[in-house]
Amino acid sequence: MVKLSQPDLVIMLLAISIMLIFSRIASELGKRIGLPSVMGELIVGVLLGPTLFGTIAPGAYQTVFPFAENPHVSLALDTIFSLSVILLLFVAGLELRFSLFLRHGRTVIYTGFGSMILPFASGFAIAWFFPEWFSVPVSGSKYPLFALFMGTAMAISALPVIARILLDMKLLKTDIGAVIIASAVFNDVVGWIFFSFILSLVGQTGGSGSVISSLISIAAFAAFMLVVGRYVLNRILPWTQTRLSWPGGVLSFSLSLCLLCAAFTEFIHIHAILGAFIAGLTIGDSVYLREQAREIMHQFVTSFFAPLFFVSIGLKVNFIQHFDPLVVGLVLVIAFVGKVVGAGLGARLGGMSTRRSLAVGFGLNARGAMEMILGTLAYDAGLINQTVFVAIIFMAMVTSMTSAPLMRLFLEKKAS
Amino acid sequence: MDHNRLKGRLPFPFETIAVAVAFSPRLEAILSEARQLARTFQANLLLIHVGKRTPGKEAILAELCGHVGIGSEAKVLWQRGDPVSGLLKTCKENIVDLLVLGALRQESMFRYYLGSVARGLSRSAKCSLLLLTEPRTDGSTFSTVMVDCVDHPKTLPTIDTALYFGRSMGTREMCLVREVDPAGLAMVMSDDSTDRERETVKEQLLLEAEETIRQKTGDADVGSMQVVNSVLWGRPGFAIRKFAEEKSANLLVINSPDSRYGLFDRIFTHDLEYILEHLPCNILIVHSRLPGQI
Repeated sequence: MVKLSQPDLVIMLLAISIMLIFSRIASELGKRIGLPSVMGELIVGVLLGPTLFGTIAPGAYQTVFPFAENPHVSLALDTIFSLSVILLLFVAGLELRFSLFLRHGRTVIYTGFGSMILPFASGFAIAWFFPEWFSVPVSGSKYPLFALFMGTAMAISALPVIARILLDMKLLKTDIGAVIIASAVFNDVVGWIFFSFILSLVGQTGGSGSVISSLISIAAFAAFMLVVGRYVLNRILPWTQTRLSWPGGVLSFSLSLCLLCAAFTEFIHIHAILGAFIAGLTIGDSVYLREQAREIMHQFVTSFFAPLFFVSIGLKVNFIQHFDPLVVGLVLVIAFVGKVVGAGLGARLGGMSTRRSLAVGFGLNARGAMEMILGTLAYDAGLINQTVFVAIIFMAMVTSMTSAPLMRLFLEKKAS
Repeated sequence: MDHNRLKGRLPFPFETIAVAVAFSPRLEAILSEARQLARTFQANLLLIHVGKRTPGKEAILAELCGHVGIGSEAKVLWQRGDPVSGLLKTCKENIVDLLVLGALRQESMFRYYLGSVARGLSRSAKCSLLLLTEPRTDGSTFSTVMVDCVDHPKTLPTIDTALYFGRSMGTREMCLVREVDPAGLAMVMSDDSTDRERETVKEQLLLEAEETIRQKTGDADVGSMQVVNSVLWGRPGFAIRKFAEEKSANLLVINSPDSRYGLFDRIFTHDLEYILEHLPCNILIVHSRLPGQI
């Protein structure tokens, strides 16, 4: 077995500890001014990466984060980042209950579809008809996948950010909160399944046959896990939680299932994130999963793996060098218009007042961590260039930070 | 059919009580329960059978009615066709306020997904239903009644109906329950919250839920009943089902569903489906007609 040499191990541990220490400091400081942890972690990544640290002290930067020069450390860190994204998708799935979408009736159905269809259509159309704006060659094989990705990136929402905003605004358990949460669940479930379909097509040259086979594989796996898997899990989980050591038993069981599913989907040439996400959906949907177990799993991932992943985003590119105001502006306009109009129109058709519909639209506009994960995976897969990657990350930050004040604007005016 | 008579009709008083006659081994007990309910509420009694009318069935029904003391004042209606839609149609035509029927606590997986008559009626109730899990010839007791106080316009009339039922049936304890769904909280709080913040948020949500129940009951006529408010932390439908089992409740009172529950609702179980999956006790599904509804 190939092992990391002692100096490589030291560098890897040093890199991880620096990322964890600074991200924690940034999260705590950010919390005081109302910024979500993920923002602080991302900013740390930008400061530690080629944007700042790499520019002012290139030698020290190459020593701590030797991605280009030391393939062993680079591979080890990449493995940790891959594991992080798999676990992040797993805990994201844990909180998405599809039944939330079913239980709120007409308003949610209209809002869910509206907040999905219009953003997807606008993102796809702009990328399809004007690829030159994003410096994407039309002749390239990835051009259609890029257009599909842009549609998905505009359609997805970030449930963690949205739930936090609603909680802070004391709207989480209200009817408007329920509509936003249930629609975000729909956006995320459909968005992530569709995104894994796009990733499964990267590098494939089999034409329509491979598209159909990917679609069938995804549908079959999701249906199997959500129907048969859920049924079996509802019989195993109570036993696991009462007969095995607590919380070790349920943690080992849940994480093993997540990794098994991720391995399986990767094996059948669909990205590992789909397996992890569906495993999270299956486990999270079970009424037999204790709240405490759910909290422990979240804490396990958000305190170690999430900071590493979000800091790593900043390490990937030089955010100043690849910041193109036109692309960023364009992505922001598509994101805002598509989501606010789509979700707002859906909520209005579903029977809400115009002001509340707009509040729903701005609520669902927050993209946060989910968009950052999506952008990073697309960048790693070669679907988008550095300029679009920076624009996507910037859009995720702006939409998350503006969501609460804009929602408040419409809800408070109504109240007054 | 005169729909205007149904529009805005209150779920109580129970002026007409019907019983679904299925010729099961428990028919005598169900008829006996229905007779006692009709007497208590001074209601007209209807016996409805959806199925082929045969001399044999007529003879059995006449004999059992004789046993339990149902006389000629009870009207017997024979219908053909699908049991669920047939019963619903007959109830609507006859302005039935309460339909009484027997139901198994738990059905086989196959039957649950396909849908039995009792479950089918519950998923599309257009009049109030009383599902009796263990009907008795000497009459069930309803000493402990639980009411699901979800956040919905139908809940207020449901609570009033439960109080009306409890006052008439000699209920001793009525527990008004509100469930707080923790959906999304684990994710939100794990990120950037201290233990104390987490506890404060939980407490706040529980207090808000308690206040909501208090507002709903207000100055309602509770008779001699002891009314207790409870807030449960858990998945709606499942939490109250478990609570009703733990407390050995005799009756669980819930709102009728807004729209018909389908196969998807059974696969991605939620709310009412958790209760129908395993009935914890007798169930009263109150169908309140909101303005304009029939």
